[in-house]
Amino acid sequence: MGNNINRREFISLSGGFAGMAALASMGISGWGDNEAELTVDEIESKQHSCDVLVIGGGMAGLFAAIKAHDAGAKVLFVSKGRLGSSGQTPFAKGIFEYDPKNAKLTIDEFVEKVSLSAIGTNNRVYTRQLAEHSKARVDELREWGFFESPLYNKSFSKPINERQIPLMERITITNLIKENGKIAGAAGFSIDEKEVHFFNAKSVILCTGAGGFKPNGFPICDLTHDGTIMAYNIGAKVTGKEWNDGHPAKEKNAAASFDGWGDMFLQKPSTTDINIRHDLGVDMNYQAYVGGGGSMRMGPQGPNGGASVKGGPQRPAGLDNQMPGGQGSKPEGGKRPPKGKEGGAPPGMSGGVVGGSSAGMSIHKSEGLVPINDKCESNIPGLYAAGDALGSHMAGGIYTQIGSSLAGSAVQGAVAGEAAAEYSGKTEIQKLSKSKINTIQSEIFAPLKRESGYSPAWVTQTLQGIMIPNFVLYVKKESIMRAALAYVVELRESHLPYLRAKDLHELRLVHETRNMIITAEMKLKASLMRKESRCSHYRMDYPEIDHENWDAWINIFKGDNGEMLFEKQAFDSWS
Amino acid sequence: MAINNISGCIGCGVCVKTCPTDVIRLNSKGKAEIKYPEDCQICHLCRMYCPVDAITITPEKSIPVIVSWG
Amino acid sequence: MGVIMEKRVKQFIWIFAIGIFIVVPGFTYSLGDFPRRSFLKETISLLTLLSFFVMILMFYLSRINRSTLKPFKMAKVLKWHKALGYIFVGILIFHPFFVIVPRYFEAGISPGDAFSEILSNLDKQGLLFGLIAWSTMILLGVTSFFRDKLPMTYKTWRIVHGILSLVFLFLASLHVIQTGRHMSAAFISLILLLSGIGIAMLIRRYILDSTSEKS
Repeated sequence: MGNNINRREFISLSGGFAGMAALASMGISGWGDNEAELTVDEIESKQHSCDVLVIGGGMAGLFAAIKAHDAGAKVLFVSKGRLGSSGQTPFAKGIFEYDPKNAKLTIDEFVEKVSLSAIGTNNRVYTRQLAEHSKARVDELREWGFFESPLYNKSFSKPINERQIPLMERITITNLIKENGKIAGAAGFSIDEKEVHFFNAKSVILCTGAGGFKPNGFPICDLTHDGTIMAYNIGAKVTGKEWNDGHPAKEKNAAASFDGWGDMFLQKPSTTDINIRHDLGVDMNYQAYVGGGGSMRMGPQGPNGGASVKGGPQRPAGLDNQMPGGQGSKPEGGKRPPKGKEGGAPPGMSGGVVGGSSAGMSIHKSEGLVPINDKCESNIPGLYAAGDALGSHMAGGIYTQIGSSLAGSAVQGAVAGEAAAEYSGKTEIQKLSKSKINTIQSEIFAPLKRESGYSPAWVTQTLQGIMIPNFVLYVKKESIMRAALAYVVELRESHLPYLRAKDLHELRLVHETRNMIITAEMKLKASLMRKESRCSHYRMDYPEIDHENWDAWINIFKGDNGEMLFEKQAFDSWS
Repeated sequence: MAINNISGCIGCGVCVKTCPTDVIRLNSKGKAEIKYPEDCQICHLCRMYCPVDAITITPEKSIPVIVSWG
Repeated sequence: MGVIMEKRVKQFIWIFAIGIFIVVPGFTYSLGDFPRRSFLKETISLLTLLSFFVMILMFYLSRINRSTLKPFKMAKVLKWHKALGYIFVGILIFHPFFVIVPRYFEAGISPGDAFSEILSNLDKQGLLFGLIAWSTMILLGVTSFFRDKLPMTYKTWRIVHGILSLVFLFLASLHVIQTGRHMSAAFISLILLLSGIGIAMLIRRYILDSTSEKS
């Protein structure tokens, strides 16, 4: 890929693109002195060892920890936030349950129909696995009291406490560690105590969720693709970066994710059954774009009450007449609208809407580590991923089945947990080398030592100004993406090394900012590479589906010299 | 300004743990304090988990909001 | 003193008491800079606050305040003391549960879970003081109700009652100041002033009593 572009070329390319710079960095101080409240010498180093290290306290992590434990492994469970109260899990209210007894489609028919909607972008093995295992997971959740409260910490804690699985919360994992070509553990720091933690593990399961650019209106501001980038840094293959979640937010108080979803966050979870759709969301971005960005309204016939705009993202035959960006496009938001409101605006989203509320996020389950088999295993021995951290393409590059995301996380977590336990049973632990520990520790805390530097909040806001506008990642064009890429590369090369942190909270922001910048580069380059339009990836300059060249996923990996490399992987094949 | 008031706090620290974006910390008196309001994603989890219903949240973000259009 | 004059003074004392213990707290509440919540929640809050001020009022509606209450017959004063005492102790017994009642009507942590979370934090000063004050208050109520059945003289009982009251008001005031949802500088000053005077009157009474007994 010839994405190398220098600044001068960029300036000549961009023309009216200067608005981007104006958008960036509103009101947040950028470069400044670092008034650090703690010194690196105060940090205490702690080491832990286990068979299976589960990273991430959402739905996937819950099942990964439980199933690995039940399969006989010594499990350590670590989370950036609180169990059941971080990432997207707390806001996912619908869980898909395929019950063979009263299902209106057989599993074969279900897989077929999902594949039709996904235009081949789904991995049928994972689609099938979802349907086959969902009921067992739902039954377990029911037993733990999951369906009895809108808050999940209690029901998630029950099975973890019963098994006495050690759980460490509010630990930001920053690095995965590889020794002798195999996974050896992970490292991270506490945001409460002055502690750095090194985990020595035979196997690691990433349940770290997806991520975004800390966008407004969707509660994913703690998700910055941490797991994906850590894994990429040690050589794992990553996929699905060109797809787009196209959720809108309310025009008024766009950042208020709670208010934007009506009373959804207050609801207790419930199960959903088969209802295969093709929920785009990005078609609304397109309509806003060609409509001159006028006020978008959600009506019964979609954006602008059905005022039709020619062109734009297409749906497969038989799956039209659905509400873009609506309730259905939030598989996790599971609850279907009450009868008679089918096809109405998403809850609480009547009136004007704006785009970009989930900017930086792909479709659930489509982005993350490339699986090499149906066991959620990555190309690095001993490294597994589940849920939104695994690029299983369970539903493909489009939202197909309501509630399948939460169910998929549960199903894959369990599969990965069992597989990781089995792997660790026949593997020797790889010792962490002293030099690696020292290097990682000094890298993690470098921003604290910096006497001056850029604030992560400023760099993040600059990145948002570059990546969130409608004409960059939603309605894609080569020229604009190259221009944006030049900005992002600038951030990576000349700003990322100078991020400062005055306390542990800001240190976490620094690492999140780093992960977002690398994600932005992946998203732009993958979007440039896929020269067609399909599902949630829409190119103005290549508006048609190209079966001949693009019945393939895009894998991203790090070359020997640290460069970002890309490869195609044919649909329905393994890496 | 997102999460904007904590009153009647008993210092249990549940909101501190619960906040996905680490907005709240306990102060030197052992009470919850809004320390990083600009990171609030207005998701209301802290409010819903608070055992004494001490938290009030408003829908406005405290820093400028970047959206796709508009 | 003439009958009419006496009536005027009595009226004045009544108005003054209601003013200080009901109107002023209510006014302070209405001026407070804190978020207004649902009608149910604010009603519960207001009821709890006023009940607490009635508890302070108990100190002023007793023998230790004899000089101010001169125009009244002490028996009548004590009747009021008892009646108000039983009513508001009865209300405040449920105070620990009031805070979780609204959770029955809204999504979020369940009332039971909220309550057990509160119980698991009794090591925190504000709650610990509250718990001791609450228990002392119940003890006050029970020892008053069954006074005749207790194996102690009225004089001893009075001393016990006074000491329990003192412990109660001291800890309850700290609890309210530390964890009260509606605490403002004005509220804290008001509580410190009224509780302080009440406690001072009680201590003064004991010192006077003990010195008079000795002589």
